Amino acid sequence: MLQLQAEPLSRPEDWASQYIRGDRVHSEIFTSPEIFALELQKIFYSTWLYVAHESEIPEPGDFVTRSIGRQPLVVVRGVDGVCRLLMNRCTHRGALICEVNRGNQSHFRCFYHGWTFENTGKLVHIPKDDGYPPDFDRDGLGLPAVPRVESYRGFIFGSVNPDVAPLREHLGLAAAKIDYMIDASPTGELFLDAGTHKTTFRGNWKFPGMDGYHPPVVHQSAFEIFRRTAASQNPEVDSAVAQAPRKTMNDSPLAVSRDLRGGHVMLDSMPQRIAEREIHLAATRRMAGGEEYIAAMFAAYGPERGAELIAIGGDPHLGIFPNLQLINQHVRVVVPVAVDRTDVYLYPVRLGGVSHEFNEVRLHKHEDFYGPAGFGQPDDTEIFERNTDGLQALGNPWIDLSRGRNRERGDSDGSIVGHITDEVTQRGQLREWSRLMSAS
Amino acid sequence: MISAAVDLQREVEQFLYREARLMDSNDYAGWLKLWADESTYWLPVNDDDSNPHEHISLIYDNRQQLESRVWRLSGLHAHAQRPKSRLTRVVSNVEIEPNSGAELVVHSAFILCEVRKDTSHFWAGRNVHVLERGHGFLIKMKKVMLNNNDTVMPNVTFIV
Repeated sequence: MLQLQAEPLSRPEDWASQYIRGDRVHSEIFTSPEIFALELQKIFYSTWLYVAHESEIPEPGDFVTRSIGRQPLVVVRGVDGVCRLLMNRCTHRGALICEVNRGNQSHFRCFYHGWTFENTGKLVHIPKDDGYPPDFDRDGLGLPAVPRVESYRGFIFGSVNPDVAPLREHLGLAAAKIDYMIDASPTGELFLDAGTHKTTFRGNWKFPGMDGYHPPVVHQSAFEIFRRTAASQNPEVDSAVAQAPRKTMNDSPLAVSRDLRGGHVMLDSMPQRIAEREIHLAATRRMAGGEEYIAAMFAAYGPERGAELIAIGGDPHLGIFPNLQLINQHVRVVVPVAVDRTDVYLYPVRLGGVSHEFNEVRLHKHEDFYGPAGFGQPDDTEIFERNTDGLQALGNPWIDLSRGRNRERGDSDGSIVGHITDEVTQRGQLREWSRLMSAS
Repeated sequence: MISAAVDLQREVEQFLYREARLMDSNDYAGWLKLWADESTYWLPVNDDDSNPHEHISLIYDNRQQLESRVWRLSGLHAHAQRPKSRLTRVVSNVEIEPNSGAELVVHSAFILCEVRKDTSHFWAGRNVHVLERGHGFLIKMKKVMLNNNDTVMPNVTFIV
């Protein structure tokens, strides 16, 4: 028997219930510094966070600097080939031991007093080490590593909570959705090596959600540009594709907002794209390197599945709670800085087994919409900042997330679906927020 | 000979100052008129010398995209520029590459103050212009290397 509606956002006995009334949420969860501090503990230091992709550190010694919540990390492949998440903090006085974003090093030296660590975290050199007492615990002063590190098909997650459930359990229904981004490559390989858009906005980390309601309003100008450009290049074929975002976000009964449980949500336009696969195939055929790509995909996955994957275009439009989103051609990481400051990093993916030309077209598509100077993302940023300012007005301090509550329904896999514009996704994220924040 | 070089230097500087004024006053249509029919407007990200075909950029516009950018900013729905940024920039250190030939390769630097919605941002960077000589100059390529292109940054939706 399928469930007709999802559960309430919180239970009366939950801590979070003071901020949740039915499908309304109090603005303080976006504005209170105390709640932000609690979120770091209850969410960012309790559950799994995405930190990096294996393609960023393929060789021993390769590293990138990242964070878990506010804690700086070095994600490094050691001389032993093991990927570790080392705290970027000297065990002597606490200065950073790594000051650059990325590189390849066998050792990290703190340039305060010269303590030096192997890239496995082991402390290997202390200048003038005859100055320490006999009971000095040198072996215990290696760089602490994040206790839990697990990967899902190249996506590396970490948790500072040693008791967190296995990653695969955490991902649940979302794991199979991640596959759609990876399987856009005929070899199943993604490379996050095409640069990073590093953006910041004055607002809360929970704003960048998976919202299928806003695009026709916020992104009207970008969609109009894409429509005109496509129409000028090929009046018949591409205008249908260019119309797709509008159609998806407004009308299509095949596209749904989906709550995958556990706070993972998606704007699922796959059924619509699959139904329109001939249009997508025709558009792909016309792209530089398109024919070759289609042939490689059909060879790898068979014509049926291959055509579906091409139509989906590597875009699950998926949010993995709390800090990862896979959208269009990029991997997005949300970094909480303060209650009213969020950094968002966008890593476009290059597909393995695909020509330079084809990947180049995808990278330029990303550029068109995203980044601080794109035609789309800056308008999101602006609206988030308006949201930050608007939430200061407390005449009615509640925000309403009830859209589509009356028409959501259970799907056979246990997820909850609604119209693409419905706030099924926001409710799914908040339900997990409420659960984690209320945990003892 | 010296006088010709001085004249050219002054002419190029005047062109860059005019461009700066048009950008500072958000005169998008006026700015677009400075561009050649085939042109590239490039703001690298992460690294000033990345390959724009293998690495994303902040902006890598051809003429058509440049026109789209101007169209978008001129309309009512570029929310990130409602209200518009108030801008003042100083362009300096103008240097014409020797042996530039018919197309001039011009290096310059700028410092820019942007004020929008009670917030000031200071931006700085270096430019390379490739200028086509015709009736005056037309911009064939402009590359802007922002000093902060590898840090988190707010919107860059004004013309830089």
